[in-house]
Amino acid sequence: MTPSEPDDVHPDAAGDHVITFPDAIPGFPEAHHFVLSDLDEAGTFQLLTSVEIPGLEMVVCVPWSFFPDYAPEIDDEVQRDLRLERVEDAIVFCSVTVEPDEEALYLNLLGPFVVNAGTRIGRQVVQPDMGLQVRASVPVGS
Amino acid sequence: MLVLTRRSGESIVIGGEIVVTVLEVRSDQVRLGIDAPKSVRVHREEVVRQVEAENAAAAASARRATDLLGKRRTPPRPDQGGPVQPVRKPGHDTAG
Repeated sequence: MTPSEPDDVHPDAAGDHVITFPDAIPGFPEAHHFVLSDLDEAGTFQLLTSVEIPGLEMVVCVPWSFFPDYAPEIDDEVQRDLRLERVEDAIVFCSVTVEPDEEALYLNLLGPFVVNAGTRIGRQVVQPDMGLQVRASVPVGS
Repeated sequence: MLVLTRRSGESIVIGGEIVVTVLEVRSDQVRLGIDAPKSVRVHREEVVRQVEAENAAAAASARRATDLLGKRRTPPRPDQGGPVQPVRKPGHDTAG
């Protein structure tokens, strides 16, 4: 590795979790592999960092931290596709967006990331029409 | 874009396996039925675009979100093998 290595998170470092999205993620068709790393000490937020696309990363979090009644649909086809014997075998997280000048976080409840905890294979599961918001606001400080 | 005209009850076949049927036509709405293999995902287009756009927005706000929510990204852990890499830490001190 040379000093010009752009990332200070190394995807193949021991202990980092590499997640594979065989179908990439909507909007980034070449982003198939990501590293998931903790962002804060409480473990509430993580950083999802692309392996293939330098500079592509997003903050994510487990949605139930802020929306305890969140019930995304993880249907039979998703379970089969991700080889989830039980829905409990899935890690679910949602992207976090922060707008400048606003004291709010937004979680994308319309497109949760669902990952098989054992195989680390997952996909972003666009939800059916259930009124879930692509920007569900969480006031900072809650 | 391929443009076809169908009446209520008529269908089109896509890729040999996907069948889209016009179930009902009203003045401002069309009800469509889609028969597709389970591995083919079907969504309302605007919803897919919303998720695409939000992925981009989350990516664009990652630095802001990181600053707001977490510690600055830590340098590689000392137990990692290989040479220590330079880390971009503008104005960062070890107090993190």
